[in-house]
Amino acid sequence: MATHKFDVAVVGTGPGGYVAAIRCAQLGLSVATVEDDRPGGVCLNWGCIPTKALLRNAEVVTLLGRAAEFGIRLSGFEANYAEAVQRSRKVADRMAKGVEFLFRKNKITLFPGRGTLTAKNVVEVKGATAAETIEARALILATGSEPKSLPGVAIDEKTVISSNGAVRNERAPRSIAVIGAGAVGVEFADVFAAYGVQVTLVEALPRIVPVEDEEVSKELTRAFTRRGIALKTGVKVASVKPGGAGVVVDLEGEKLEVEQVLMAVGRAARIAGLGLEGIGVQLERGFVKVSPRMETSVKGLYAIGDMAGAPLLAHKAMAEGVVAAEAIAGKSPRPVDYGNVPSCTYCRPQIASIGVTEARARENGREVAVGKFPFTASGKAVALGETEGFIKVIADKATGELLGVHIVGPEATEIIHEFAVGRTLEATLEEIIHTIHAHPTLSEAALEATLAALGQAIHI
Amino acid sequence: MAVTKVVMPKLSEAMESGKIIKWLKKEGDRIQGGDILAEIETDKADVEMEAFGAGVLRKILVPAGEPAPIGALIGVIADPGDDIAALLASAPTGAAGAGSDAQKTPLRPEPAPAAPVGAAAAAQQAPRPAGTPPSAPPASVMRPAAVPSALAAAAVTGVTHEPQGGRVKASPLAKKIAAQAGVDLKLIQGTGPGGRIVRRDVEAAGVTVAPTAVAAAVTGPEFEDLPLSQIRAVIARRMPLSKAPVPHFYVTSEVAMDRAWELREQLNTLEGQPKISVNDLVIRACALALLKHPGVNASLQGDAIRVYHRAHIGIAVALDDGLITPVLRDCHAKPLAQIAVEARDLAERARNRKLRAQELSGATFSISNLGMFDVAEFSAIINPPEGAILAVGSVRRVPVVDDSGLGVGRRMAITISCDHRVMDGAMGARFLQDVKRLLEEPLRLLV
Repeated sequence: MATHKFDVAVVGTGPGGYVAAIRCAQLGLSVATVEDDRPGGVCLNWGCIPTKALLRNAEVVTLLGRAAEFGIRLSGFEANYAEAVQRSRKVADRMAKGVEFLFRKNKITLFPGRGTLTAKNVVEVKGATAAETIEARALILATGSEPKSLPGVAIDEKTVISSNGAVRNERAPRSIAVIGAGAVGVEFADVFAAYGVQVTLVEALPRIVPVEDEEVSKELTRAFTRRGIALKTGVKVASVKPGGAGVVVDLEGEKLEVEQVLMAVGRAARIAGLGLEGIGVQLERGFVKVSPRMETSVKGLYAIGDMAGAPLLAHKAMAEGVVAAEAIAGKSPRPVDYGNVPSCTYCRPQIASIGVTEARARENGREVAVGKFPFTASGKAVALGETEGFIKVIADKATGELLGVHIVGPEATEIIHEFAVGRTLEATLEEIIHTIHAHPTLSEAALEATLAALGQAIHI
Repeated sequence: MAVTKVVMPKLSEAMESGKIIKWLKKEGDRIQGGDILAEIETDKADVEMEAFGAGVLRKILVPAGEPAPIGALIGVIADPGDDIAALLASAPTGAAGAGSDAQKTPLRPEPAPAAPVGAAAAAQQAPRPAGTPPSAPPASVMRPAAVPSALAAAAVTGVTHEPQGGRVKASPLAKKIAAQAGVDLKLIQGTGPGGRIVRRDVEAAGVTVAPTAVAAAVTGPEFEDLPLSQIRAVIARRMPLSKAPVPHFYVTSEVAMDRAWELREQLNTLEGQPKISVNDLVIRACALALLKHPGVNASLQGDAIRVYHRAHIGIAVALDDGLITPVLRDCHAKPLAQIAVEARDLAERARNRKLRAQELSGATFSISNLGMFDVAEFSAIINPPEGAILAVGSVRRVPVVDDSGLGVGRRMAITISCDHRVMDGAMGARFLQDVKRLLEEPLRLLV
């Protein structure tokens, strides 16, 4: 068994791991990466990227269904779900190859196999054919997360599936119960509904997308209901058992008979078998405890991304990867500002938010100014035929500080960054309104919502 | 989960308040015990302040340029999840006022700075959920009340946004909060990118007022009042306290420095050895003589005379705005070369204001050397509680008469100022005699 020496070893090559590896290489460190799947992790291979491909398919299918609105007469069309999944695989493959290319370009060595820590600076990699040992001055753990289930509900990826199964299955079920109406749940509900699957979205909390602003939940509820997605909120799942057409979900009284159940109730840190116990790495609520420099309780051992705690977002992992790399290289990186991480959900209408909700802002004791602008009043949105949703800006009344922004509607996930930059620069409402926004754009709605917070909206 | 209060440390015996020159860490920085947090201007020197606790520097309460009395809370180190709101809310509101009127502020030393704040801090340890912004400061942190009205007015009318002599780099939000809190942005040191003033800087500044502006220089047509530097203020206050109550007497002697000069020149040709100055020879001579004359190495302590058995010698170093006397410890036990190296290091750091706190106190005797200014002789004022100080003049080439007739010799005048309460003239004279003998037979300095 060969022993290889590197400055840094990165275990896991998802968005946190590969970014950390590249940044380390940029800073002149020799880098080894360990990956038991394809480079890119869940995000590129089984999460963010393939689901975005599927959601785009869903969007195209929906648009074709609306062709007559645009004066286009179709004599019927066939939307093949298997081909949609195949397309999403091609997209994922291409992105994973991109990471492999970036590794070569940055002279990063990839060790395929499963990594286990045998000491705080030693990783043993068990590959398909051989075992290797990597010794590094610093280690970055970035093994990500995996889907959770409810107690007593086993995920078999056949009738009870997780997102892992959902992105792989080339056959859409006739009916599905999606349990959990967070980002993963609503995105799959959207895809399946577009392909004609009878979807029931089940959420234990009183509203879907429960971490978003209340008005956003309401808007999405309206949009989903219009599209025939059944919503069951504030209900607990008592049991999920085989029966009927496939599975019977007991919602404490009401029985739901569906072909498949998708468990989307959250994700847990993927740390089993990594050897953390042996070297005394401290955990906190099931995630690895880290410092603002992303160092674990063991010196020289860093952890980033989903395994290091909420929010479980790829872009947060990437930001943490940069912090860890720069800390290892002896720089003093600016810690991740967890209060300023945009959150994006890619269902239709899209949802994007940053900062606090209106309710939270008021709980914090701030006197707030709220501005809201609907896309129905946006010329660009009307021209696109995408008028669902709004932009809502919550500001501190005294200073105009941007406390939170919530967007539901077309390209919400792109529009949000204006506010992210604004918050980073500590811009206030005034700086946004003095920024000329091009006409006609969807971003104009951002300007108008900001004006509305000051009582000066023009177009409403 | 400990919360560490960062308080203004007592860095010298006479210190009553200190001014933050510069924070070397900014809010959010990871701190380990022993990290240098800030540079503090004390009455004597600029010293580096070390961190005691570990964690994240969560809050800077006294920004750069602001004074704070000893023991005042100037920052908080805690883990990111710790709730420090209660601690911040309890921060003394009267931290200001210390700067302009320090000597009247009673000394209230706080307990050691590493005291953890108990249950309140530990209990509220929260995870970091998505979308939660950095916790808002308690209302009490932003307190415009204590700001001089002129400053407040200036801020409101927007004068601070474009001050004379350049633009203040500040975020829009920081400008607004400053205007509302009446904080002058010119007095705030920014911790954002490129020194940009961001919200946290203004909020930190809101805790104390800006007395430095009050003390700013007033220019008049005929004269100019320069504000006292910390050092000058202390000298002004302390020297009369020495000269009046301490009955000084003076004894002067002339030392033939020919052999010492020769020895020094020889020593300085040795390769790999530090350069020796005349003052190094004087320090060594005094150290040896002090051991022999402990009565001179003494201090009046109430109704007792404390006699020291070690020679910790204060070496006066002239600065542009005053002088300071760093202490070279255990001179009696150090060979000449070591004295030379350490004395030079002390003097250099004194001039760069990089002395450590412990180097500023504890002298048992002092030496003031004005030799480099071509001074024949002078006498110095004792620095209490020390019992004596030696004033050293230049080594001058003068005509001398010896057994062989008239010749040219090197002579140096040394004058000891003694506290008559501690010693008498004869004791001072005998000490001086020994110093003279050691310098005139300089090989004794090497053994």
